[in-house]
Amino acid sequence: MADTLVHPTVEEPPVEERRRPPRVRKTPVTYLLRFIVTAYLFFLVAWPVSLVVTHTFSDGLGSIRSLLEDPDMVVALQLSAYVAVWSVLINTVFGVGMSLLLVRYEFPGKRLLNSLLDIPLSVSPIVVGLALVLVYGGRNGWLGPTLAGWGLDVIFSTPGIIMATTFVALPLMIRELVPVLEEIGIEQEQAAESLGANGLQRFWRITLPSIKWGITYGVVLTLARSLGEFGAVKVVSGNVLGQTRTATLAVEEKYLNFDQQGAYATAFLLAMVSVACIVVVAIIRPKNHP
Amino acid sequence: MSIDVSGLNKKFGDFVALDDVNVTIPTGQLTALLGPSGGGKSTLLRIIAGLEKADTGSVTIEGVEATHLPAQKRNVGFVFQHYAVFKHMTVAKNVAFGLEIRKRPKDEIEHRVEELLKLVHLSQFAHRLPSQLSGGQRQRMALARALAVEPSVLLLDEPFGALDAKVRKELRDWLRRLHDDVHVTTVFVTHDQEEALEVADEIVVINEGRVEQVGTPDQLYDEPANDFVMSFLGEVTHLGGVSLRPHDLEIDSSPQLAGSVEGTVSRLVRIGFEVRLTVLTVDGDEVSVVVTRAHARAHRIEEGSTVWLTPAAGASVVPRMAAAV
Repeated sequence: MADTLVHPTVEEPPVEERRRPPRVRKTPVTYLLRFIVTAYLFFLVAWPVSLVVTHTFSDGLGSIRSLLEDPDMVVALQLSAYVAVWSVLINTVFGVGMSLLLVRYEFPGKRLLNSLLDIPLSVSPIVVGLALVLVYGGRNGWLGPTLAGWGLDVIFSTPGIIMATTFVALPLMIRELVPVLEEIGIEQEQAAESLGANGLQRFWRITLPSIKWGITYGVVLTLARSLGEFGAVKVVSGNVLGQTRTATLAVEEKYLNFDQQGAYATAFLLAMVSVACIVVVAIIRPKNHP
Repeated sequence: MSIDVSGLNKKFGDFVALDDVNVTIPTGQLTALLGPSGGGKSTLLRIIAGLEKADTGSVTIEGVEATHLPAQKRNVGFVFQHYAVFKHMTVAKNVAFGLEIRKRPKDEIEHRVEELLKLVHLSQFAHRLPSQLSGGQRQRMALARALAVEPSVLLLDEPFGALDAKVRKELRDWLRRLHDDVHVTTVFVTHDQEEALEVADEIVVINEGRVEQVGTPDQLYDEPANDFVMSFLGEVTHLGGVSLRPHDLEIDSSPQLAGSVEGTVSRLVRIGFEVRLTVLTVDGDEVSVVVTRAHARAHRIEEGSTVWLTPAAGASVVPRMAAAV
């Protein structure tokens, strides 16, 4: 094609997205604030967590090995993992759909829906557990007997644990995705539309890749929260050894039975998964993303 | 005719964006939709593209009734003011997007992308991400992306609005030359009358949801249909009962022609080769006059001088609208 420029345009230098933060003068207040934050994080978070680690390994890998050799413990860990994975899956699908609904559409009752989605975070997990028992209790719940008649046990069984765990982690994915979607706007999708992409193509090629880091963080948060759920699960599961005892319930059990080593070891395993996720994401995240 | 819009109405709540708009945009030309912000030109463009739906009226593109066709079936290319680049794809993938959607063979896509990147002078950036490009480069990429699918119509929504003045001028030139090469029916929206006058073959002036006038740049500038078009397309001043252009006034240090109006120069500003004067006439008008430096020197016009003003022969004049109190 013919050169359509009269004269060669001077190519502007590529713009770096990441700008250096403005230099702030360091005053005594800066150091004081840093000290306060460090002390706060240390006493509330770092030290207690590190004690768990040191106690776990106080006689080498012994405590962890004995943990993994106990078949009931293995079942508990598997149950926690199973429940957490289901919770992440359900909350991802539901979270993406709900976030798109909240950001892209106007409808009556939207603000009410928005507030309702915050309830799982603001309500005590024990209340969540009790509410589920109320509705799905096998003997005198609202829906329980009907479902039991169809062969589906919810309370004191795995489905109930999954429901409870999914519920308490519900807002995490949504609150992560809504700001991302608001920032992206709809122009990219309109551009894709003008280029011939239908709804599904736009969702798959434009929307999802644009929010992938939001989803990643949402998954990490949901996973951590799901693995760590205690109160709701305690009410809903019945805590039957080898069947409905999750890892968190096992920690409590061991601690109350003076098996401190076991308690620390289990707690350590749970914490490690969450920490590992966060570390992996922090490493693979590209530097110019928020 | 390439695009036929008839009886278009669009309201956003109580706000009337478009009020019975009828316009025909000729094939193969570069047409500008010109008007003040909020006037409805972007809305009209988006309705043509299919990104918005009109309340009533019809849109026909290349003879095909397009009113109820979704945007993806209209085969129009759209360029946004803020580029709307696909941030997670490289420049090459951005440009290839439309072709990939249409499931073209891979080597055809590669060839076309290469061709287009050469056209917009972005070949060396093919594997960069849009975040590594400057604004002007991103807009050129967006243009290549829109042209990749060989649209029947190319629509640009204030394409240079987000760029700084120098880049804007360069890209304006460049768009005109691109159009001369590629000949796609192009419609672009702008509120900058200089841009419209410089680039477009035909201008549609839109204000408050209504079409004020349609014509070539010369027609609009020299034969404005009303006060609004006249004042929007260039500087306007008032003498006696008429509106005219400040550079269409003859100014002399003695009454030369019949009908000259006497006045005093109250302000004089020299800007480049222009000299801008404010003259207070004996009738009480405050008239702006623009003359060249040489002319002002020759007639020794200074602040406080007494001068005589006459409309130049052949000046375009419009009877002045009732002045606001």
